Amino acid sequence: MRITLFAASALALFVICADVSGQSPAPASAPAKKQSSNAKPAADQTQAAKSTATQEQKEGERRFFANCGRCHNPPESISPREVKAVMQHMRVRAMLSAQDEELILKYLAP
Amino acid sequence: MNWLWDGELGAWLGFLKDGSLQKLLGITLLMLWTASGLCAQENAPILSGGVQFLSSTVGGNTFFQPAIAPVLVVPLGDHWLVESRADLRGFIAHDSGSTGPYSGQFIASLEYLQLDYIANPHLTVTVGRFLTPFNIYDERFTAFWIRDLQDAPIIFPIGTRPTGSNNGFMFRGVVTAHPTWEVNYTAYFSVLSTTENLQSGRTAGGRIGAFFPMAGVEVGASYQRFLQDVNYNAVGAYFTWQPPQIPLDVRSEYAHSPNGQGYWLEAAYHFSKVRGDTSPLGRLQGVARIQQFFKGTPAPGDSLPAVDTNRFDFGLNYYLPHDIRVNGSYGRQYSSAGNANTWEAQISYRFLFPALPGVFK
Repeated sequence: MRITLFAASALALFVICADVSGQSPAPASAPAKKQSSNAKPAADQTQAAKSTATQEQKEGERRFFANCGRCHNPPESISPREVKAVMQHMRVRAMLSAQDEELILKYLAP
Repeated sequence: MNWLWDGELGAWLGFLKDGSLQKLLGITLLMLWTASGLCAQENAPILSGGVQFLSSTVGGNTFFQPAIAPVLVVPLGDHWLVESRADLRGFIAHDSGSTGPYSGQFIASLEYLQLDYIANPHLTVTVGRFLTPFNIYDERFTAFWIRDLQDAPIIFPIGTRPTGSNNGFMFRGVVTAHPTWEVNYTAYFSVLSTTENLQSGRTAGGRIGAFFPMAGVEVGASYQRFLQDVNYNAVGAYFTWQPPQIPLDVRSEYAHSPNGQGYWLEAAYHFSKVRGDTSPLGRLQGVARIQQFFKGTPAPGDSLPAVDTNRFDFGLNYYLPHDIRVNGSYGRQYSSAGNANTWEAQISYRFLFPALPGVFK
């Protein structure tokens, strides 16, 4: 009985640990707005970064269909926790270049 | 405090002296260490694969093949990877051809179980059991939830005998990559194995391919030297074309060995204007394939037809939501041994989830 209880506790701990550490990292809190004279350039930089990210995602989508689409349709959903393993798997199987892998990763897990 | 010691806690503390507790504690620590270690990674192990039910009627004989093919991928850091795929299926058929009661048998095979070391973008070293990299069908389209037509091409055994898998080592990678073209390669050596479910031939070979992503064109050539019993060469070539503007896939292979030679050409079209269309019509795909095989010098166990054979197939695939696919196909085979019709219907489901408990999000 005790052994069963202990084993159950251990299993529960294992599951809790896996669950907690498996959670996606919380998004970084938004930086506090600063009233400074360079607020506009910072906003421009943010806009430029967003634009670059969007372009990279579009390029990642194109490369996804060019490379992965040679064999299969896109899966309906991939969670952020799965995507890196999937990409490593496909990098070996589909012989993706390093740049392909990087951009497709940005498309699948923006 | 005596009540505490004599009570439940006392019993627990007494239990601490028990040897079995030490074992349990060790197991617990191991489980916690494993969970934290694996879950701390962003690239958690995944369990993927497919489940199917396939019904085939070939020349009037009907048989059923329920199957599950689990794919396990375990990343070990950024450079090491363990990959595995098994195929577990039942084969249910009439006892005597097309009549009588049904009986079944269970067939299990390990298609690959390999350890990869991703050294750099140009080189990945693989050790273990891997799919034979001869042409493209074996590596890319043997998964039943991926291939458009369920029957493998007639020339499939050329360059992949005896099982489509090899036990040994392999080098592969991208030689050079540019925005408009890239070149990839594969080279391998395999040892003879007669172990049940792990059969492999003693072979050496390689493949080189060029991919033009802007045009959606890929061409390549394969070579294999079979190094047991009778030594002989097998050569092959492949061509694929996916015009980026329309959801059309054209694939073809040619293979030659002393046992015979042949080719197949397949075209698949989604009834849509663009790729990735999930409208009701965009989920429908029509497939057609033609094949020709010319017999060479027969060899025992070559798994090729005994006579020249021509065949065409036509099929429809429908990609339902949740990675479920249903399809049906009709094929007609012409040969001097007799013509035959093949009807097939399949439902398959592709699954993908983390291989660890408690991480479903």
